Amino acid sequence: MRAVRFHGRGGQGAKTASRILGTAAFLEGFVAQDSPMYGPERRGAPVAAFTRIAQTPIRERGVIVHPDLVVIADASLMQDPAAHVPEGVDERTVVFVNSPLTAEQLQSQTSLPGRFTTLDLTGIALQQLGKRTAISALLGAVAGSLIGLGQESIREAIARELAELGLAAPMIERNQTVAAQCYETVPRVAIDVGLRRPTAPVPLRTPTYDPPTRGAASITAGPNSAIRSMAGWRTFRPVLRPDLCNGCWLCFANCPEGAITIKPDGKPAIYYPHCKGCLDCVEVCPTDALTVERETAATREA
Amino acid sequence: MNADMMTGNLAAAWGARLADVDYVPAFPITPQTEIVEALSVWCGNGSLNARFVTLDSEHSMMTAAGAAAATGARVFTATSSQGLLHAFEVLYTIAGWRVPLVLVNVSRALASPITLEPDHNDVLAARDSGFLQIHAETCQEVVDSILMAYRIAEDPRVCLPVMVNLDGFYLSFTREPVSLPDPKMVQAFLPPFRPTHLGFKASAPHALGTAVFGGATYSYFRHQIHLASMNALQVHEEASVEFERLCGRRYDVVEGYRLDDAEDVLIMTNAFASKGKGAVDAARAEGRRVGLLRLRMIRPWPADAIRQALQGRRAVAVLDQNLSPGQGGILFQEVAACLYHEALRPRALCSFIGGLGGKNISEGEFRAIFEQTAEAGINGQGIGPILLYTEAEHREMVQLQVLAGGLKS
Amino acid sequence: MTWQRETFKKIKQIPREEHVLPGTALCAGCGGLEALRLAAKVLGDDVVYVNAAGCFTMLAAYPFTPFKGSWLYTTMGSAPAGAQGVRDALDVLIAKGRLSKEEDLKVVVLGGDGSTYDMALSSTSGAITRKLDFYYFCYDNEAYGNTGMQLSPATPYGARTTTSPCSLQHPSGTTQEKKDIFEIWRAHKPPYIATVAPRYPLDLEEKFARASKFTGPKLFLALSACPTGWLYDPGETPEVAKLAVETGLWPLKEAINGVITHTYIPKRKPVEEYLKLQGRFRHLFEPTRQDEAIRHIQARVDDYWKQVNV
Ligand SMILES: Cc1ncc(C[n+]2csc(CCOP(=O)(O)OP(=O)(O)O)c2C)c(N)n1
Ligand code: SF4
Ligand code: SF4
Ligand code: SF4
Ligand SMILES: [Mg+2]
Repeated sequence: MRAVRFHGRGGQGAKTASRILGTAAFLEGFVAQDSPMYGPERRGAPVAAFTRIAQTPIRERGVIVHPDLVVIADASLMQDPAAHVPEGVDERTVVFVNSPLTAEQLQSQTSLPGRFTTLDLTGIALQQLGKRTAISALLGAVAGSLIGLGQESIREAIARELAELGLAAPMIERNQTVAAQCYETVPRVAIDVGLRRPTAPVPLRTPTYDPPTRGAASITAGPNSAIRSMAGWRTFRPVLRPDLCNGCWLCFANCPEGAITIKPDGKPAIYYPHCKGCLDCVEVCPTDALTVERETAATREA
Repeated sequence: MNADMMTGNLAAAWGARLADVDYVPAFPITPQTEIVEALSVWCGNGSLNARFVTLDSEHSMMTAAGAAAATGARVFTATSSQGLLHAFEVLYTIAGWRVPLVLVNVSRALASPITLEPDHNDVLAARDSGFLQIHAETCQEVVDSILMAYRIAEDPRVCLPVMVNLDGFYLSFTREPVSLPDPKMVQAFLPPFRPTHLGFKASAPHALGTAVFGGATYSYFRHQIHLASMNALQVHEEASVEFERLCGRRYDVVEGYRLDDAEDVLIMTNAFASKGKGAVDAARAEGRRVGLLRLRMIRPWPADAIRQALQGRRAVAVLDQNLSPGQGGILFQEVAACLYHEALRPRALCSFIGGLGGKNISEGEFRAIFEQTAEAGINGQGIGPILLYTEAEHREMVQLQVLAGGLKS
Repeated sequence: MTWQRETFKKIKQIPREEHVLPGTALCAGCGGLEALRLAAKVLGDDVVYVNAAGCFTMLAAYPFTPFKGSWLYTTMGSAPAGAQGVRDALDVLIAKGRLSKEEDLKVVVLGGDGSTYDMALSSTSGAITRKLDFYYFCYDNEAYGNTGMQLSPATPYGARTTTSPCSLQHPSGTTQEKKDIFEIWRAHKPPYIATVAPRYPLDLEEKFARASKFTGPKLFLALSACPTGWLYDPGETPEVAKLAVETGLWPLKEAINGVITHTYIPKRKPVEEYLKLQGRFRHLFEPTRQDEAIRHIQARVDDYWKQVNV
């Protein structure tokens, strides 16, 4: 069996990618299984999806704990503890990252084991498919290529899955073309087909009673949501040019998150860890003091 | 002793009054309505210092009850049958909030067909909600159990809501002598409600009933409800001792009747257990060595007490006043499960289903039950589920069918 | 008579302090969150939000809450009853001296349209009839959002949802007309009802300030432009909200003791401008234009404003 785990952010297409891979494998006559994992979060938040491919019946379900291939749709997820990217990744795991960096560059920046390969799918999509489209077809194609599925079945699977989502025929075709190109160009790393080490029984803990101050789903440390960083949610970021700002506060009034604060001088400041990159502030700014920049790993850190 | 003739419903209302509750959200349903009628009068004339509010449904009523308890008020409410099921999702919701309120359920069979008389499918449907359950046999036990329920619910080792069950008609509308505990005694038994983990107020904001994600987090909180419920066995024991000391009446999680040398044991709950005891007496008079085990606490399930009461018996019959279609009696399943690990387990387990929709269980039926149970014990082979129905009842039913459908009899 | 804002005349009067903090799981660009954030600036911190199942249930997800105030999640159908229980208990505890008056809280129901327009209607109606002193904040994203955008009674004519797809029978999406919950509320005679929208922050803040003077049920219906469900780019939330108002589709109004005042009179752009922005209406324009459906929507708006007679 091959187990492929997709990590993405809501809206990027990780779930559809896992379906494209599943359908392609099915079309080739394999036993396939795909499933998404739903978290609480929506567009922008970490999501995961799983595809299993085998020649015999699959005796597993749900989360893939020991992936052969991990497909990361958004490099920022590697730093996001909520995404659980490192889980079960070892030296044998092939790790694909959607990133403009090379595998070597990425590998040197991360403690994640695994054998890396990369391709700038977002860049390709921005150029050839348009702003903010999902990259599901491209992720599916890359995964298919790495796992060794044929190009034709990937092409057909893209058609089926994107049609299912209601995409129009011309858009599906464009996706197929760009996906084919990604299929060809992604640097291949061979999947390790060796047997996995057997797992040891885990120590079990007998649950004990806690007083209801702790034992009920109640939060007394609020408001504490602000300790979470939303930086990873952004594909684009608003950038403020103070010289153009007239201090009208419209951006502050319209930011759904409250990520824009007003400084003592009455001028706005964006607090990036709280900004989800919706760009509502850019929309309302009357003076073009807010502009849009594509997010990169480097800017996100800042 | 200052006993008075009183219905089970009035006894339930007295339980709330003696517990000095703060809040009573209500909604009418037969055969429960008299409880909230009495409470509304008392709240109106000041004899009970509580706010009484009629909600728009039991779903709303249970939500308001849970929310008020979560705010720090001592809450009482009551319902029955369709009302309990209408509030079903709320039962789980507020058990998860860990609010110690008391809900009286007056058992009534469930539609459809709609009817008014009792059986226990309503209360037992709620057995997995996290509510504790105490089932009463007498009107006296109703009022006493409500007081014990508050004490157990509010104990920091428990903090779960409690359902006290009484049978519609056979208890709710039946008068018998009830001795009301002295309010001073109640004060000693039941300290004021001052929860540490509940209470919305400006100086201590918190979020309750929050969403959780991931099975491990969810499991933790469900485990806690289970552990809290299990703690209630010990807390009940302590409350029993104290209640007996103050009031002279003793209630255990199960009650044995003429069990000492009994070969065969009949298991029952609620008001019809009185009839069961009568049947035991009659059978004893004929020389049968039988006894009765009344299950009083249904949640937490008093497995040890049940095992102890049943070990070494020849045969055990569970008389379920409920029916899980496609399965049989609900309590039979639970009794059977807790006897499996008992080395000296009875040779035969028998399942009888009776009293559905308030159907009488006649002396003759009890005799049949004892006979068949004894025979099963001798054969070492359990029986059931046996759906109790007499020939006479069948003949009457056919008459009704003739009238309803013009069938040839 | 034109409506005058008394408390919030300028944008700079919007309080700087935040009461619903960032870091929640709601979508980027959520118009409902924006409305709530503004509302909370007037409501303050001495609040308990009583929530019905919906997108906003994700706001307080263990172990994080964005609220400086308190929160209680109830069910989809009974948040107003939860508010009743909390309010009553606070009153009783204060009256009995177990809670000081300073500890008192405003009780605010937080529910979506699906909950508000249908499932919790019995519970809401009961609470209003009992004159419960509470706020009801309905964020209206015109569908069952948390379950993935199915048709709700608030879904407007012509919208495509996952359960009102364009079919041969109904090529223009749903033919249902949005339920008029404002009038249903008004029939109950609460002291204060208002509609609000993000992108009109002063109108919103002013209405919350005005409502605070009334004891009893105070109901707010907030247009919750929803990029995820309405299928537009999150950055367009302000524009979508603005066009909803400027086309006259979402009238900004209040009713004090039943007397309605429109708080903003739009010039009324063609509804098309609003519809065109959103994927849920795209079928009205592509592949073939469905003129009749568009005219129908326009006619409905025109009728409304004719009746308003301004
Ligand atoms: C009794 C019940 N039925 C169904 C659901 C599933 N459910 C959860 S949220 C939701 C949608 C609520 O819609 P709305 O009130 O409009 O809020 P939104 O999700 O759009 O924020 C539904 C149907 C539920 N939680 N409870
Ligand atoms: S992009 Fe969105 S979240 Fe970020 S500051 Fe602007 S309005 Fe706020
Ligand atoms: S909207 Fe633009 S001009 Fe106005 S305060 Fe914000 S950045 Fe400055
Ligand atoms: S689905 Fe819509 S209403 Fe729900 S959180 Fe997302 S944007 Fe807000
Ligand atoms: Mg909705």
